[in-house]
Amino acid sequence: MAQETKVRETQRTDANGHHAVGQRVKRLEGAAKVTGKTVYADDIKFPGLLHAKALYAPYAHALIKSIDTTKAKQLPGVHSVYTATDLPHYNRNDSNRRNLIFPDKEVLFYGQPVAAVLAEDPHVAEQAAGLIEVQWEVLPAVLDPVAAIEPGSPLVRDPLSDVDRSEERGHVSVDTQETEQEGAPSNIASHAPFKRGDVAAGFAEADVIVERSWKSAMVHQSYIEPHSTVADYDITGELKVWTSTQAPFYIRDELAQAFDLPENRIRIIATEVGGGFGGKIYLTELMVAALAIAVKRPVKYIMSRKDDMLAATPAPFAHIDLKTGMTKDGTLTALEARLIYDSGAFPGAPMLAGCMLIGGYYRCDNIDIQGYEVLTNKVSVGALRAPGAHNATFAIESHIDMMAKELGLDPLEVRIKNAVEEGDLMPNGQVYPRIGLRECLEAIAGSEVWRNRRAVEATPNRGVGLAIGGWLGGLQPASAICCLNPDGTVNVTVGSADITGTNTSFQQIAAEVLKLPLEMVNVTSGDTKTAPFAGMSAGSKTTYTVGRAVLLAAEDMKQQMFELAKQRLEVEPEDMEVAEGRVQVKGAPDRAMTFQRFGKLSTNFGAPFPVLVGRGAITARKSAPGFTAQAADVEVDPETGDITLHAFAIAQDAGFAINPLSVEGQMQGGASQGLGIALWEEMQYDEHGRLLNPNLLDYRLPTSRDLPPIETIIVEVPSEEGPFGARIVGEPSIVAGAAAVGNAVFNACGARVDEVPITPERLLRALGKL
Amino acid sequence: MMPKQLISLTLNGLPRELAVEPSWTLLETVREALDLTGPKEGCGTGDCGACSMIVDGRLITSCLMLAPQAAGREITTIEGLQKNGSLDPVQQAFIDAGGLQCGFCIPGMVMAARHLLDHNREPSLTEIREALAGNLCRCTGYTKIYEAVQLATERMAAR
Repeated sequence: MAQETKVRETQRTDANGHHAVGQRVKRLEGAAKVTGKTVYADDIKFPGLLHAKALYAPYAHALIKSIDTTKAKQLPGVHSVYTATDLPHYNRNDSNRRNLIFPDKEVLFYGQPVAAVLAEDPHVAEQAAGLIEVQWEVLPAVLDPVAAIEPGSPLVRDPLSDVDRSEERGHVSVDTQETEQEGAPSNIASHAPFKRGDVAAGFAEADVIVERSWKSAMVHQSYIEPHSTVADYDITGELKVWTSTQAPFYIRDELAQAFDLPENRIRIIATEVGGGFGGKIYLTELMVAALAIAVKRPVKYIMSRKDDMLAATPAPFAHIDLKTGMTKDGTLTALEARLIYDSGAFPGAPMLAGCMLIGGYYRCDNIDIQGYEVLTNKVSVGALRAPGAHNATFAIESHIDMMAKELGLDPLEVRIKNAVEEGDLMPNGQVYPRIGLRECLEAIAGSEVWRNRRAVEATPNRGVGLAIGGWLGGLQPASAICCLNPDGTVNVTVGSADITGTNTSFQQIAAEVLKLPLEMVNVTSGDTKTAPFAGMSAGSKTTYTVGRAVLLAAEDMKQQMFELAKQRLEVEPEDMEVAEGRVQVKGAPDRAMTFQRFGKLSTNFGAPFPVLVGRGAITARKSAPGFTAQAADVEVDPETGDITLHAFAIAQDAGFAINPLSVEGQMQGGASQGLGIALWEEMQYDEHGRLLNPNLLDYRLPTSRDLPPIETIIVEVPSEEGPFGARIVGEPSIVAGAAAVGNAVFNACGARVDEVPITPERLLRALGKL
Repeated sequence: MMPKQLISLTLNGLPRELAVEPSWTLLETVREALDLTGPKEGCGTGDCGACSMIVDGRLITSCLMLAPQAAGREITTIEGLQKNGSLDPVQQAFIDAGGLQCGFCIPGMVMAARHLLDHNREPSLTEIREALAGNLCRCTGYTKIYEAVQLATERMAAR
């Protein structure tokens, strides 16, 4: 096995008597995935299916003077062509990307869809899209968000109204609201200030002050499966959508509002998601549903890689000005920040999260944080795993190292000294619940990467760097149903899309509550007509919220069995327990009824018991933030600027790892994405706002050649409400990579690169060689 | 549209005669005409490897091979790895090591790993990392994929 990977195993099966949770469990759907049997949206076929291909705007900002679809319609094999004027009615709001299919008079970013062609052959549809003739009047494109906030900047677009923030709320729940654009028209979509104490006094007190600007590139989620959607609106008036989404119920609600349809006439079937990372919430479904309603035939729309890179919702560029002060003893005394997130042509940049984190990792009495979400004529942005977090973290975590260096302090100890703990305040005044940031720092101190740093750094051009990261997590109600079958097996049904192995964790949770072998529990993600409600699988909240509902559903079924067993076992429920597929009397295990017996007695003809259906429904109001500490070991070639990653370690607080195999996978996967942000990934635009690298050759994802095995350390500081103490897991892992690598590069060669990705060119500039 | 072209090939061990669209790729032909939807299209430009198949013993990206180019060749897709209803050791190792998450890259990744082990029975970690570099995985960070290939190697050696 890869020797570099070590996992700190906590005691299991053990003191707590857990047999199912806390175990390394293989994925329920593993066999389907390794054999190619898993059904993704593009694998679905229907008789009469039409393929849709879109025409994407060739300018970043332009007026549509006219659209002529004659030639496209004349191409043999074309079924129909739709533009803004001939789509069926929907409730359109041009302020929100998700409420607009095609614009009718103005395009706001390069790649904005303006029309669609339907044909039975996708090649014909694509060819016809190229035959649509549009007369454009090109307008100046506003591309630099820093210049765009200045008064007098040309405007990106007409003023916003009725901005819908519901999607962002799915990723993170904070008790703060940004102030929407008001007063004179400007490109600032929203602004959020956070102040505490007196920063001037804080800086006066400091022995070292660091002031610097930090940039982080626009990056793409780069799920390997591009956006894929099939919709059908049949004769019964029911709208069905099969789509690669993390958020089936959210899409249902949005489509119901868009088309004035009752929610129970819409069926969203979340097909297996071939990677989402926050980018697959709600994007293509409105267009495909509208087309299906128009033609009364099933319509499939599969984005090509290029389409997806042009017109999906990548993660924003951010420019962050940061000033921090520290006293000789390593106390952070003041933090002043201006965060500018480039939202693209529509609101939706995760600026709030950046503000919360830049001032939320360390105790500091004096803060002044100003966040700006700024519009530009670029593709509108969306969520990418802990949206907005890595941009802000790159800035603050670089500063901590820089201040520690100036003061001659150990970077790890400085972090431990200032790290927030339970009871400390977030920038908005919210109080932290129990968290494990300090524990993550202590764990990373024990990693091989960190312990070896002195030896490693003895080699010229090698350096080891450290950074922390975190995510506050989303909150949303959730529910689950737990049914007993006649043979004693159990079916659990949830409404959440399983994007990270959550259904396997639910299997473990239900099996644990019922003390059943894992194979006696199966879990299904139903669709929006068959499953009980769940929030979107985003904000790292699925195990935390739906997992609790599963726990309660299993518990409810168990209690129903106890009630029913009273007469036959002749004891009260409090004197019963479950064990090995039976309900038995405590202390007298031979007085028992098997699950199978309950199953028969509740389903047979003339059976005495009602059907056993456990119900779990929760509201989640208390967050369980997740933190991480990460260390990178890099080698720099000072002649070419090339950077080689030799080793990487991640410690992360999972609260309680329901399935350590999955938790490690989440940690390693997120860490690799953080490394992509650190070293390779950047959507590059030219001076006209055209994307230069809409493919996976020029947009450089981390490959196996780039990434060594990642040392993975699970930390477990239990959350207060999560099932068995589990807390959010999916997102924190991506957050620290950029800063950890930046700090490692500095330690390797003494050059501080203030922009990620740290390309050879940027490094050579920082070294003064270009 | 060009007329269809008749070709014969061996697909997953079975000889087939097919009328193919000359402009279609091997990937489209397999997915759309033969309903083998295991191989995936992630990019269409040969960069991601999700469509990887083994053709005459070579690992290829089937999104870059036109259907007529497959004439006379022996092609194995992910659907052809199972033998007598049981999983190939590589497939089993990916499940056991947790080397899969969303699964979209897996039909290609497993073929790349199988191809490596066909040619190198004891690959080093470096050789594994080289051999899989044409197959992008966005979910795992590759660590558990390396472990899966190492696990498959061990199990095959133990046989």
